[in-house]
Amino acid sequence: MSSIVFAIEMDLKAFTQLVLPTQGRLYRIAKLFLRSREEAEDTLQDVLLKLWSNRQQLDNYQSVEALAVQMTRNMCLDKLKSKVYQSTEAETNLPEISTNAKSPYQQAELSDSAALMRQLIEALPEQHRLILHLRDVEEYSFEEIQEITGMTINNIRVALSRARKEVRDGYLKVNNYESGH
Amino acid sequence: MNQDIEALLDKYYEGETSLDEERQLRDFFQQEGIPVHLQSHAAQFRYATDARTQEPSAGVSYRIVNQLHNRTKVRTLTTWGLRVAAGVTLILVGFAGGRGYTLYKSQAMDIQSHEMIAMKKSLDLSQSHTSASERIWAVNQVSNLSEVDAEITQILINTMNFDDNINVRLAACQALRRFENEPLVREGLIQSLKIQTDPNVQLTLIEILVSIKEKRAADAMQRLAQNQEALEIVRQKAEEGVMQLKKKSTS
Repeated sequence: MSSIVFAIEMDLKAFTQLVLPTQGRLYRIAKLFLRSREEAEDTLQDVLLKLWSNRQQLDNYQSVEALAVQMTRNMCLDKLKSKVYQSTEAETNLPEISTNAKSPYQQAELSDSAALMRQLIEALPEQHRLILHLRDVEEYSFEEIQEITGMTINNIRVALSRARKEVRDGYLKVNNYESGH
Repeated sequence: MNQDIEALLDKYYEGETSLDEERQLRDFFQQEGIPVHLQSHAAQFRYATDARTQEPSAGVSYRIVNQLHNRTKVRTLTTWGLRVAAGVTLILVGFAGGRGYTLYKSQAMDIQSHEMIAMKKSLDLSQSHTSASERIWAVNQVSNLSEVDAEITQILINTMNFDDNINVRLAACQALRRFENEPLVREGLIQSLKIQTDPNVQLTLIEILVSIKEKRAADAMQRLAQNQEALEIVRQKAEEGVMQLKKKSTS
């Protein structure tokens, strides 16, 4: 019997080596949707546990990471739909900004524009927001984004371009810059 | 330079830039002293750079691995292959137990030496003749003995160092721990620490060496702690091990 138990433990080790390196990404994607740190961490945990219980089928997927991102997204959308989440949503949303050493004045200005950026990105339609994040924050290739979203590469480019322009326009509007770039 | 950046920015907003070019833009806007006419673009790129640094809190992956571990333990045998394997193993264990029991009862000869011979056979023969579980069984038999000779210790040390299967190696480590008073054993454990590459075996060795207060192991452990190829947890445990061994030698 001991040999069987051992075999399962090795399996767990292989699984963690495969999946744990993606946890930062999955967490950030969950946070993009849910905003609260705790909710995002819970989602990360749910996703990994679900992957683990389906590990026999993982071989059928081209990329486990793409699958994990898909699952994260779906789980977040489900949570956002459920009423329980909506009641807790209001209390969260504390800004978290990591700033390098800058003068207090610069820092205030920087964090203002960082907070503004977050607002502008949150205001984007769900799909645009996700694509912008996958590309600009997580540095996924178009092929990887295609695998995650199921959209064609051309449509991904269009959505990405719109999202980038929309954020920029919003930023210019608030800061009263002259339009155009 | 600025013209390049301007051209890249145009491509960026059209969704035409490559990942490399986008990295170039983010790097550019991380600097101080961005030209005034480009400043309005900075926030967008800085946001991306900042967002990437967010990580889940430190305890989270520990919590997750723990949960995964617990699920493994209560997992039922779902696939047919596993059920069959478990059934066969149970039957084999039953046979082996019955056989061992009759041997024990009927034979007047010294049981210990009998088991020793069996064990030597199954470990000493080239590994292709025996399965990993047979070898683990053999190792466990040895750890029940009250005393061992040099030949057995050497076989155990060889098993710990060179067996193909990591679980057999781990079982051999644990068996050797029981015979810590044999001079060959302590030396063997120290040597083994230098050549093991599997983190599980490394951690077990560190733990054993610390528990038997083997001060001569401090050097090998120190080296392991500085080995960049070792897993971080192993390096950390090795570091702690060195501290404990040194502390005990001064007090």
